[in-house]
Amino acid sequence: MNHPEQKSVAVINAHAPFSSPKGKDALDIALIFGSYEQDIALFFQGDGVYQLTDKQDPALIQQKDYLKTFSAFEFYDIEQVYVCGRSLKERQLPGQFHIDNVTVLEPAQFAKKLADFQVIFRF
Amino acid sequence: MGQKLAVVITTPPYSNLAATALDYVESALQTGIDVIGVFFYQDGVLHADTNISIASDEFQAAEKWQQLHQNFALALHLCVTAAEKRGLRDDISPTNINPVFTVSGLGELVELTHQADRVVQL
Repeated sequence: MNHPEQKSVAVINAHAPFSSPKGKDALDIALIFGSYEQDIALFFQGDGVYQLTDKQDPALIQQKDYLKTFSAFEFYDIEQVYVCGRSLKERQLPGQFHIDNVTVLEPAQFAKKLADFQVIFRF
Repeated sequence: MGQKLAVVITTPPYSNLAATALDYVESALQTGIDVIGVFFYQDGVLHADTNISIASDEFQAAEKWQQLHQNFALALHLCVTAAEKRGLRDDISPTNINPVFTVSGLGELVELTHQADRVVQL
C-alpha cells in the first residue's frame, strides 16, 4: 500500500479530550495528513482512550464536540485507529467507542504496530 | 539513510525543554545534517512572540533561533492557526511576530514531513 513518495505517519493521543486542546490539535494534524493522502494512523493510549469513549456531551462544559469529526475519518482516508487495551482496562472502560473500526491492541502489539510507522507525533 | 531532518516544536519558550530542543537543532546543524525546517505548533508558536520577555539570567530561546536562522538559513515555520489563537498577528503594525519566522499552515508540516528522512518532535 505504501507509495514510495508517501510517509507513514502515526499520531499518538495520550491525553483526555476536554481538559486541554491537545486532542483537537492532534486531530487537525491527522486530518491534514489524510487530506494530502498520506498514510496516517491514530493511536490512543493512557488517558487518550477517553477520546474514543462514547456518550460524551462536551456542550455541558461549553466545549466544542471535536470528537464528532472522528466519524468523518473514512472521508479523510484515515482507516487505522488503534487503542491500547490495557489503558482501557486500567480505567475500567468497556470498549464502547463512538466510531466503528477501532482495533484494540495489547501493549506488545500496540508497540509493534507503532514501530511500523516512519514518523510519530505525540499529543 | 539520508540526512534530511525536520523538527516540530510544541513546547513554549519558557519551558526548560526549549533549551533541549535548541541544543538538538544546533548540534544537528553543526554536524552538517540538513535541517530542512522547524515547524512550530501548539504552544511552540510562542517562540515567535516578540512581546515575550524572559528574565535575562534565563535561557533566551528567541535569540538562539535568530542566530540559527542567520547562521544556517534555518527555515522557521509557524502554524498560523496556533499562532492566531495565542495572539500572534502579522496584520498589525508593528507585528508581534519575530521576522525570522515565516507564517505557514499545517500544509507546510505535511511538506516538511514528506521531504525529511526523519522528523523529530520536541
